[in-house]
Amino acid sequence: MSSVEFQSVTKDFGDVRAVDHLTFSIPQGSIYGILGPNGAGKTTSLRMLMQIILPDSGTIRVFGQYQKNSYLDRIGYLPEERGLYRKMKVNDVVAFFGELHGIKPSDIRKRTTFWLERFDLLEWSNRKVEELSRGMQQKLQFIITIFHEPDLIILDEPFTGLDPVNAQLVKDIIMEEHKRGATIIFSTHLMEQVEKLCDRICLINKGQAILEGKIQDIKQKFGKNHLIVSYTGDSDFLSDSSIQAYNDYGNYVEILLAKEANPQALLKKIVKQAEVYKFELVEPSMHEIFIETVQSLGGDKNE
Amino acid sequence: MNKIFTVIKREYNTRVRTKGFIISTVLIPFLFVVGFAIPVIATLMNSEKPQKIAVVDQSGQIFSHLQLVFADTLKNGERLYNFLPVKIEGKEGTAVKNYLTKEVETQKIQGFLIIPANVLDTGKIRYYAKNVSNFSVNERLSRRISKIVTRIRLEKQNLDPSFIRTLTKGIKLETFKVTRSGKQQKDSGATFAITYILVFMLYMAILIYGATLMRSVLEEKTSRVVEVVVSSVSPFRLMAGKILGVGAVSFTQMFIWGMTLFLISVYGVGLAASLGAGDVLAKFHIPPLDPVVLLYFFLFFVLGYILYSIFYAAIGAMVNSEQEAGQFQTPIIMLLIIPILLIMPVVANPDSTLAVSLSLFPFTAPIIMFMRISVLMPPTWQIVLSFMILGLTIWGSIWVTARIYRVGILMYGKRPNLPELWKWIRY
Repeated sequence: MSSVEFQSVTKDFGDVRAVDHLTFSIPQGSIYGILGPNGAGKTTSLRMLMQIILPDSGTIRVFGQYQKNSYLDRIGYLPEERGLYRKMKVNDVVAFFGELHGIKPSDIRKRTTFWLERFDLLEWSNRKVEELSRGMQQKLQFIITIFHEPDLIILDEPFTGLDPVNAQLVKDIIMEEHKRGATIIFSTHLMEQVEKLCDRICLINKGQAILEGKIQDIKQKFGKNHLIVSYTGDSDFLSDSSIQAYNDYGNYVEILLAKEANPQALLKKIVKQAEVYKFELVEPSMHEIFIETVQSLGGDKNE
Repeated sequence: MNKIFTVIKREYNTRVRTKGFIISTVLIPFLFVVGFAIPVIATLMNSEKPQKIAVVDQSGQIFSHLQLVFADTLKNGERLYNFLPVKIEGKEGTAVKNYLTKEVETQKIQGFLIIPANVLDTGKIRYYAKNVSNFSVNERLSRRISKIVTRIRLEKQNLDPSFIRTLTKGIKLETFKVTRSGKQQKDSGATFAITYILVFMLYMAILIYGATLMRSVLEEKTSRVVEVVVSSVSPFRLMAGKILGVGAVSFTQMFIWGMTLFLISVYGVGLAASLGAGDVLAKFHIPPLDPVVLLYFFLFFVLGYILYSIFYAAIGAMVNSEQEAGQFQTPIIMLLIIPILLIMPVVANPDSTLAVSLSLFPFTAPIIMFMRISVLMPPTWQIVLSFMILGLTIWGSIWVTARIYRVGILMYGKRPNLPELWKWIRY
């Protein structure tokens, strides 16, 4: 069963088509990555999912229901544009959003203590939001997103502004929520995280889905035509005809092999010129897939 | 409905707890009370001290009348003014003056009068005191002594004293307010003063709380919190909740202010009388505030606030900063100022075509219709029509601005021009 289903959804803003016949579906309980360069239509799609704006045509179903106010309480949404009421106290802000999602006052108190403690914010509970550091505000916003135990959690760039320790904590909690049975949607630029966390992705460019499915399937489709070579010495070998493209980091290079190229022949050639520490034939990283796909379609380069 | 209530509660609680709100809510009634109490306190304090005034009557004709004319008494029945005769013989004039000046300095007497021998011809007397800028004392001395002088002059013409009294009898002006029911009430402009205070409160409340709402919308927009909020409550409900929440805050304040004014007008005179200063306030004739007028005040306040706040909310959603908001606010403020500028003509002529049409035009109706009601009750059909037009305008404005609000709160960057706004409405 699908948690979310987009069926040929289209949205125009004046002359600009932000979302163009977008179709994808997110299986229940999956961790789903929505990727795409800036301005691809990710945020617009998520806003339509949250009914903040309405599609011009096409349908969106959430939990099998069409556009209903009733399902909003089952969703936790962390938008890319963060913000909280700066003049309110931390626990008042949490209580306000808890109440908006229909949580009972007694539960609100219990859960507030639990989550503030978990995120090391308990001693700040009576302070105003504006007194918190940026990182703390990020954590507070994350608490608000998952506070009402939603069945669907939408996270738009959840790790920006967090130090490694807190990023780890957020990641752990995302996994806990996943185990609890929640469906999670990620919208991000950070391909490493997508690779580690997501089981499915949808790559959006100019409002259209250009890649959709399980990460493994997508990688297999691209094939094992990537080489990672760790070396010291001369890098003349990179001009070999069997190499279609490369990304050289000095003592480490990622190589995209030309079709029909023989990796073993290339290895022999490299060994003659340089000292090789590592030579591995791999599937392309999501990073590579992202850049190759977007560039081949003439889209804007990802930052 | 629950979500609207949550929004209202947040809006209300965060605003009512601010220092600014608490101070202004308490301070204004305090100023009302002070404004009312100052004349009372002033009288209570002033009347305490009996005045000793030395009189050098070189004409020898005035002094005997003074004690009769200045019959004012203190609360305990003592005389307020005590005149002490001082005789001058020969050239000792300056010596006496120096002596009396010393007496004033050491406060044995409060002042002294020098009445020259030819006072009946020149009409000039001199008063020396530490404080010669007390208008009520100056006024009394001047008015009463001139009365004495006039009477003596007339007597010199061999006129009968009782005839003179008839001749010099002044007039006393009493004013009456005529209401539609034909009832006549004693009135001395105090009705107008209270109307003016209420009208001004209405105007200030709409202006201040409209702008407060606008800032609140803008704050949610610039702090980006609005996107999280509208992901669990629809933009329309959020807007409704905010308007009602800020409205409840201003209603709280207006209620406290209005009730203070009402209580002062009803119980103030009695309270002052029990303190012994009743006669002072009786002169003001502060009429008790009619509860019906008060009811209309709250009705027009609620409708006026809602009408204007809808537009303030839309402006808050359209712009990105308070500076930008300023330009959009101007037409709204203009509409609000018109009734204030027209207080005089409307009060002077509450049934004129101008007053009637402005009391029906929805954007001026809350203030002008209330003004008319408190001055002279208009025909019922006009009041009903005014309410109906106001209600329909509010309904229509909500329809338009809810759309602007919905799009505007998530739009950053350039503020929209008219064609763009039209597009927003049709989204």
